[in-house]
Amino acid sequence: MQLKKRGKVREKLAALSAGLIAATMAAQVEKAEAQSYDTQYYQSLFSGKNDDFGPGVAYSQIDAALLVYSEKGGRITAIEPTLDLAVHGSKGELLNFELIADAVSGATPNGAVKADILQTFVTPVKTPGTSATVTSASGGATIIHLPGQAAIRQYTVAAGLLPVDKGFKDHRGGFNFGYSQPVGWLTQLGFGAGYSLETDYSALTANVHAAQNFNSNNTTVSLSLNAEHDTSTPYGGVPTALTVMDGTWKAGKSKTKNQFGLVVGLTQAVTRNWLMQLNYAYDNQNGYQNDPYRILSVVDNTTGEPLKYIYESRPEKRTTQSVFWDNKIDIGPTLTDLSLRYFKDSWGITSKTAEFSERVDLSSRFYVEPSVRLYQQTAANFFHYYLTNAAALPTYASSDIRLGKFTSVTYGAKVGYALSGRTEVYLRGGYYSQTGSGHPADAVGQLKGQDLFSGSKSLFAFAGYTWNFH
Amino acid sequence: MTAMAPVENVVAPAIQRSGRDTLFLFHAMATSCELRIETDDTALSERVAVAVEAETRRIEQKFSRYRPDSIISKINAAAGSAISVDTETAMLLDFAAQCYALSDGLFDITSGVLRHIWRFDGSDRIPDKAEVAAILPLIGWRKAIWQRPFLTLQAGMEIDFGGLAKEYAVDRALAVAAQITKLPALVNFGGDLCVSGPRSDGTRWKVAIESVERAGAMEGMLELSQGALATSGDARRFLLKDGVRYGHILSPKNGWPIENALRSVTVAAATCVEAGMTATMAILQGKHAERFLKREAVQAWCVR
Amino acid sequence: MNNPISKMAARLLAGALIVVACSGCGTVGPQPWEKDLMAQKKMQVDAYALEFAAIDHIYFSKEASSGGRGFAGGGCGCN
Repeated sequence: MQLKKRGKVREKLAALSAGLIAATMAAQVEKAEAQSYDTQYYQSLFSGKNDDFGPGVAYSQIDAALLVYSEKGGRITAIEPTLDLAVHGSKGELLNFELIADAVSGATPNGAVKADILQTFVTPVKTPGTSATVTSASGGATIIHLPGQAAIRQYTVAAGLLPVDKGFKDHRGGFNFGYSQPVGWLTQLGFGAGYSLETDYSALTANVHAAQNFNSNNTTVSLSLNAEHDTSTPYGGVPTALTVMDGTWKAGKSKTKNQFGLVVGLTQAVTRNWLMQLNYAYDNQNGYQNDPYRILSVVDNTTGEPLKYIYESRPEKRTTQSVFWDNKIDIGPTLTDLSLRYFKDSWGITSKTAEFSERVDLSSRFYVEPSVRLYQQTAANFFHYYLTNAAALPTYASSDIRLGKFTSVTYGAKVGYALSGRTEVYLRGGYYSQTGSGHPADAVGQLKGQDLFSGSKSLFAFAGYTWNFH
Repeated sequence: MTAMAPVENVVAPAIQRSGRDTLFLFHAMATSCELRIETDDTALSERVAVAVEAETRRIEQKFSRYRPDSIISKINAAAGSAISVDTETAMLLDFAAQCYALSDGLFDITSGVLRHIWRFDGSDRIPDKAEVAAILPLIGWRKAIWQRPFLTLQAGMEIDFGGLAKEYAVDRALAVAAQITKLPALVNFGGDLCVSGPRSDGTRWKVAIESVERAGAMEGMLELSQGALATSGDARRFLLKDGVRYGHILSPKNGWPIENALRSVTVAAATCVEAGMTATMAILQGKHAERFLKREAVQAWCVR
Repeated sequence: MNNPISKMAARLLAGALIVVACSGCGTVGPQPWEKDLMAQKKMQVDAYALEFAAIDHIYFSKEASSGGRGFAGGGCGCN
């Protein structure tokens, strides 16, 4: 017998044998659907043309997907198409290439708190030296060009409303590629790289990963290392932390951040119907962590009225650790997936995540999968809804609710339909809702009457198509 | 169940009680066949037994090379013309063709013609080299033209599903039983067996494995809760000449018994077809059988 | 015990007495012939990688935590 990969003859024989029995039985079952499906599956198993799941046989897989995301209240809307091509070689090689794009637009909280008066914000115009000599409207804002001065962009937020910048708009394009193959005694050794580019942000990633199967392939231990180099090139230049946002262009053009991560993984087939995955991840980031557009309100200590808006400031270093535990349990007609995650970082944030889904196969080709996810995080130790003029400015401060304390819940459902044994279309929809307390106990003045929580609620839909071919 | 069973318990077909199970024994495919269902509902068992026996006899007759009306006989008698086969036969031919490819031609359903010159009756009559050489041109699946649903063999060539039909029947029998009842069941055709799953209390089925050395002697007990077992090789079917033992598994490549073949190998797998084919492929590996089984991470018990 | 023959002999010895198709007999996890469920797409941890990546990207952009299933990096400036 020619030198095929270990266990490949057995795997193929197992598939062929199971297919033979299922298909010959199905050929007699009167249910037409079952028959046509199983016979189709069977034929694709045996016909040379589509014989692509077999071991030692090269095949390719194309995944196409579209994510649509929309936040309540006219906030962020995003559309993200993805295309992925995976080429499986006959000796366990895997070449992967992925293209990602997204278009994001809408209003995003700028970081200031609500006020009982009209608030005016000025930001740099997106293009310096604009030739406009008169005021003009753009994205809900006004471009003001005063002779002899740089143009500024100005927008107002009515009393009692959450300050958002409606001019947010960005496009992203990116690609990832990876290659892996068995090397020596390693089951799989691979590397990958990726690049992602937005108008004001770019990310370069590289990774290596190794996996080894033990224990009759019931256990897989893996190690992945990841490095990332990000460059932030904000509109208006890089603002100095904790300085007043005044709409002027800053001298600094860009800032970088380096990131190094590792994931140690253990995948274990515990019983015939229980698969478990346990991951430990460590991540170290060093560099520019600020959101260059995000500000904080500095308010009067007694009235709570805004005095000025200053740029946020985050520590340059951040280390994170997480433990992720995933279980897939096939209990007859349904498949339960339960995962738990515990996360902790050096900024004082800890979070707990639990996700549960139940896949129900309604027929041989159609399934539904309702799911729920619960998430809870504590605040970073430099999170403030606002700062007051009573004390000196802290070194670090951010009002980004993503660094605040909140809980979120996601309700979702997925439906999948196998067009054949080789293609599947699926649609996943979800409702994501963040809740938190926007009434801090030490709120001052007018802020006592405002809900400062700026969390969002959103709907998303993900449509995917998977196609295997020879 | 004893021989003194009350008359009112006797049903047709003859369902026996065996511990927690009902047991139905019949003879087909040149071996003793056993159907065991964990229930005391003899009426239900009877329905299953009727279906299982009918299915087994259907397969036996359809693929028998001894029955002139079987599809196998029609194919073998076609003398060079194309025969259109039914879906089930086509699926088995596809399966055999894949196994031929997977084993690099070692498993070959056209090698049955060697039986004309090799008769494994324990005697010392081995064919001479000229006889073997003369029959080799009639062997080789690649010489067959298989274009679903048409199979064309060269005149003189033959196919048979001897290495496949019994295991196929075991899997089919269990599948037929499962269509009637989801109760735990075991189908055992002369040591090739398959279970529906664990017993209702979660324990495993105990299966006695007969010794390959001494007929009827127990080699030991196997326990399984899932899948199938199949045994290939038969220590009682061999030729002995000048102290050399010729096993009954023949190589389609040279027409001679596989050298250094395992005398017997029992393989555990998800289906009986898979177990049987794995066992057959292992024996065809000759002295490399253990290496093959190890590489494929197959659970197997070998006798040399 | 490195050569396959002696390993096989040891297996045979064990098999002759009692062979079990269950956990708790040396190896953890299902036996090779019990992997019918594990072989299915729905039991693969990476079967819907694109979907997980997209949904995780939403959470990455809305929450402080990231990673777990894989790397914590986001490759974009949305957080």
